[in-house]
Amino acid sequence: MSVVVPTQRRWRSVVPAWATLPLVGGGVIILLWVIIGFTIPLWAPYDPVSLAGMRFQPPSAEHWLGTDALGRDVFTRTLYGVRHSFPIAVVVIGCALVIGCTVGAIAGYVGGLLDSVLMRLVDVTLSFPAILLAMAVTASLGPGLGNAAIAMVIVWWPIYARLMRAQVLSVRNREHVEAAVASGATRPRVLIKHILPLCWSPIIVNATMDFGQVVLLAASLSFIGLGAVPPTPEWGQMISDGALQFYRWWIALGPGLAILTVVLASNFLGDGLRDFLDPRAK
Amino acid sequence: MTTIARILASGSTALAVLAALGATPPAAAQEQPLVIARNLEINSLDPHRAFCDTCQIYLSSTYQGLVKLAADDRSVEPSLATEWTANEDQTQFTFKLAPDAVFSDGSPVEAKDVKWTFERLKNIQADPSFMMSGVTSIETPDPKTVIVNMEKPNSEFIGILAAPYTGIINSDVASENGAVAGADAATTDQAETWFLSNSAGSGPYVLDTYRADDELRFRANDKFWGKAPPIKEIVIDQSADAVSQAQMLQSGAADIAMQVDPDTAETINSPDITIETVPSYNFIYVVFSPGAAGNQVPLDREVRQALAYAIDYQGAIDFTVGGNGALQASPIPNGFPGTDDLPMPEENLEKAKELLAAKGLQDGFSVDATVAAMNVYGVDLAMLMQKIQQDLARINVTLNIQPVASAVWRQQITDPGIPFSARFYAPDYYGSAQYVQFFGMIPGSWWERNASQKGKVDLVNQKEVDLLQQALAASGDDVARLYREIALEMINDRIIVPVVSPNLVLAYRNTVEGVRYSACCNLPLAELSRK
Repeated sequence: MSVVVPTQRRWRSVVPAWATLPLVGGGVIILLWVIIGFTIPLWAPYDPVSLAGMRFQPPSAEHWLGTDALGRDVFTRTLYGVRHSFPIAVVVIGCALVIGCTVGAIAGYVGGLLDSVLMRLVDVTLSFPAILLAMAVTASLGPGLGNAAIAMVIVWWPIYARLMRAQVLSVRNREHVEAAVASGATRPRVLIKHILPLCWSPIIVNATMDFGQVVLLAASLSFIGLGAVPPTPEWGQMISDGALQFYRWWIALGPGLAILTVVLASNFLGDGLRDFLDPRAK
Repeated sequence: MTTIARILASGSTALAVLAALGATPPAAAQEQPLVIARNLEINSLDPHRAFCDTCQIYLSSTYQGLVKLAADDRSVEPSLATEWTANEDQTQFTFKLAPDAVFSDGSPVEAKDVKWTFERLKNIQADPSFMMSGVTSIETPDPKTVIVNMEKPNSEFIGILAAPYTGIINSDVASENGAVAGADAATTDQAETWFLSNSAGSGPYVLDTYRADDELRFRANDKFWGKAPPIKEIVIDQSADAVSQAQMLQSGAADIAMQVDPDTAETINSPDITIETVPSYNFIYVVFSPGAAGNQVPLDREVRQALAYAIDYQGAIDFTVGGNGALQASPIPNGFPGTDDLPMPEENLEKAKELLAAKGLQDGFSVDATVAAMNVYGVDLAMLMQKIQQDLARINVTLNIQPVASAVWRQQITDPGIPFSARFYAPDYYGSAQYVQFFGMIPGSWWERNASQKGKVDLVNQKEVDLLQQALAASGDDVARLYREIALEMINDRIIVPVVSPNLVLAYRNTVEGVRYSACCNLPLAELSRK
């Protein structure tokens, strides 16, 4: 007698439960980009800022994504773009996490007047449309990826502050926290040891999803001339160059696809992490 | 008649009626607004404060000078003045005004208006004020006679009067609205805002409306004393880049696209559109400012010369305008007096390296290069800078390109200065003195002031000062000879280094006639009509 095992069960027998398609798919794409970012100088077909051939060449076997107005290889520049977009996204998310989570945790745990003051500051910052605030900050600091990063941290930290505060508020009245307070633990210890460890899941999920959004915002700032400065092979800057050559579609195609894959991958990864870290949200 | 014949006959009648209905009569066609796609980039509509390419179009259509540039782009012909004479040493010029010339409000153009206009242009101390430098007094013996007295001989004065900035303003109307012509005009004149919504000239058009970064609308001057312009309403529609302009042209949203570059022109394949490529006197140049605060090494003449040697000029022409341009030797454009057989800019990496090594700079250095993020004459200035960045990297010089808005560039070049930049220029009239007065290292010229940052570094070239005086007093072949000597001095200064004189692309719908490039005025609107 033969037993028919359902396909899904067979799949689950070889792949662990946490390895959902979004998580694995998103993770693989991001990992590929990271590998490209680290290794591209070793195998890049051309220099990203030097002449690689005749200008405005359409895609060919020699230049997979054609060449731009200065005869630079668009494929090479697209791959090099990750070396600018990823670090800026990591730095922005990292700084925004540190600032936002610190502010949110203190506001949520201490409460009272300090909470009100900090949350009004968050409200004011969040009341500006993100792109407008980023543009205003970058315009006043001057173009450049460094200044764009500062602008994006200013835009992003309040999101984490609000999220962390909500998490701290939901955890601080639990029994184990009250027990820690009753046993004489200091307030910082209670916050760090007993509250924060239970708050990270949604923050991590949010940060993962925001990764793609930061890449997109950085590209937007470069597109309007407030981010990367020439000849940096930055995706937004490249799309801006392509916009000036509308009928030479290949100039903007590479960076456009790159942004698409990164944003999609970070969304997938965020979704997968959420399913993994908070199965109730499924 | 058979049934088929009857059907054919009635069909052809119907077609004839449809054709008659469909064909717009010429008069009605001229009533339709003609739309021009262009990046407006207007700094002012006050004739004496304006200084931009669109300003040239605007001023030459709404105001008239005493003379105007003829279609050959060289000679001048009568406009408000029917005749003029100069004394032997070119220090006194007498003009007779047209008896029937009237402003757009119907009042006559009189000598007092000419005197008031020239005095305001001089005293307001704005960008085009240099055109009246040297005017000591203006006499008006009768309402139709003007005598202009100069401090020194000025053989180019008649040519200058063809520049759009010297158009005659209705002094009564302008004065009522805050315009001042006195010696203190620079501080007391309040008319700039009024000029943004009003014109006060005698040209074929009047200003209908102006909305910054949106549109500039002209209406035919119904009191125009000359031949009435065929088109009754013209709109210059803001369109920032060549691709948008080409799209407007192809979709029928625009009749003329003014700044389509050769690369974009190649992508236009419509039988309804005419594309003409003509040489122009416009040019793009790079400029060194040794007095700029941001200089990391002194940009002295040898260093400037080294950097100029490192530029691949032919490559720059190929990369920026697809080869549709010409090399230019000096800041005086090809074809102007004194430019015959000038040595063209040379790419010589070995000499560049030698010069830098002699200065101990063989390991290179960085130069800040702020540039206006704009496309002019089909050249994207930031793209040009990237090409030069590649060129200079060959001698270990790093160019830090910073694209900024044009208004920011104008502010920064004045203070604190920009070590290295790129800019553009179009002539205001046919004559070489304007280039010496703007680009020459003569005291107070626009670039002497800004490149030296108001004298922080001494850049004045006394030979240019002396030669200009001689040229302005000269006549015949001596004029070209003297300007040639000045051009050689300006080349040797290496402050202004012309990179490309781009050909101009005239792109317009086949239904439009009269589109031509004018050296003083870009596009003479009054000559446009519909077929």
